[in-house]
Amino acid sequence: MFYDEAMMNTYNMVKQRFIKKWINTLHMLDSSIEHPLNVTERKNAIRLSSDLAIAATRSGSTVWSRTLISRSGNKTTNLTTNKPMARRILKKARNRMKNRCSTLRRNGNFTAKVGVRKRTELLKSLVPGGELIDDKDYLIRETLDYIVYLRAQVDVMRTVAAVDLVTGNLTNDRTNK
Amino acid sequence: MDLTQGFGARSGVVGPVTGLESLNFSDEFRHLVTTMPPENTGGSFTALLEMPVTQAMELLHFTDSSSSQARTVTGDIAPTTLHPFGALTFPSNSLLLDRAARFSVIATEQNCNISGETANSLPSNSGANLDRVKAEPAETDSMVENQNQNYSSGKRKDREKKVKSSTKKTKSSAESDKLPYVHVRARRGQATDNHSLAERARREKINARMKLLQELVPGCDKIQGTALVLDEIINHVQSLQRQVEMLSMRLAAVNPRVDFNLDSILASENGSLMDGSFNGESYHQLQQWPFESYHQPEWGREEDQHQANFSMGSATLHPNQVKMEL
Repeated sequence: MFYDEAMMNTYNMVKQRFIKKWINTLHMLDSSIEHPLNVTERKNAIRLSSDLAIAATRSGSTVWSRTLISRSGNKTTNLTTNKPMARRILKKARNRMKNRCSTLRRNGNFTAKVGVRKRTELLKSLVPGGELIDDKDYLIRETLDYIVYLRAQVDVMRTVAAVDLVTGNLTNDRTNK
Repeated sequence: MDLTQGFGARSGVVGPVTGLESLNFSDEFRHLVTTMPPENTGGSFTALLEMPVTQAMELLHFTDSSSSQARTVTGDIAPTTLHPFGALTFPSNSLLLDRAARFSVIATEQNCNISGETANSLPSNSGANLDRVKAEPAETDSMVENQNQNYSSGKRKDREKKVKSSTKKTKSSAESDKLPYVHVRARRGQATDNHSLAERARREKINARMKLLQELVPGCDKIQGTALVLDEIINHVQSLQRQVEMLSMRLAAVNPRVDFNLDSILASENGSLMDGSFNGESYHQLQQWPFESYHQPEWGREEDQHQANFSMGSATLHPNQVKMEL
């Protein structure tokens, strides 16, 4: 029974650290982005801040967390640049990367015979920074770690969304009246 | 096995950091290995390497029986009740999740201690956690050592009686705890040169970790074959990423600003909300609410209607739940 609580405590600790960092990243992002934003842009900003926060929570020697942080760095510079030329170039680069990954994903219904190799490539495209890892052993470790933290992220975001729905509407109602 | 074809010949070029990590990790496994007589099922490693995995399973089964009691005692009702999409939660695996989380946390701390990097990777609020986490490696190491001793004493006797293949690495078995080498008794008909032994060691390691992954991803342990397991893992990662996307969309739709009142949600818990007006039925309303409003794109009007039914007590109960769960 003590063991059970200890494990729960660790998981809750992770979630607590994540939510604290998320608050910080949200404020950071909000101060650096130009308003007004439509829903999609807001969603991207929230997603970005959430990924950055979960990577910072892991803040260790994992490839996925470092990749997420560096990717987020690139994205924030994208969001804040106003130059259309720079934006076009960056967009092209990103699309090229995306096309490569999506063709892998389209062949999603592998038969077992197609084998382990294609699946590991798919896994590499999913886990951030997975393409950089050659050792399959290490890839699996990274995936394991990534799944745990992803799940924590989803749990916290789900809770926040549920709470936010209630309190957000309460404050709206008060201001309207 | 499937694994051999794709990855048997790989030399595994890894970056400097990863090499250090894999070394530290595999040291634990190496502690577990002594020479033992070959078995019919699988390599000589898997039986030993399965120890940490089956340990996890035992703990899981043991705590599952008492977990229901434990949960009601600790009042941990929030995680299951607050989720609008209840079918998506995996409550029974949270224990293994924590074990894996703890393991990753431990691995981080160990690596940080060993490689000497402190300032950049350890945030200030993990200082308190460090003490707790340091206690845990001590106990896991002692568990590992006990297992190791039991195995080595048992298997040494068996080994002396049986006659096996040509290469004998028996005399160094007693020192296998101290040496960083992995000593394996080769089975009949298997190549005994260094390359294939190392490859076999790698394969066993990969299999052990695949098993751990299998336990982490729900519904995966009944699948045979590496490819299908990988399929499940890929599906799981994809679904989690999609959930994050969807949740961030939901949060964006609710709030006009990017930094929605997250801190006010947590801060408002300190207010006059400790009154225990636990209104049961309005709590159910609370649960169904996110569900309905998510499905409806035009949800300004519906909210106002629901607003009228809402009492202040039940609405402010939520931050309490948040604090309890967190």
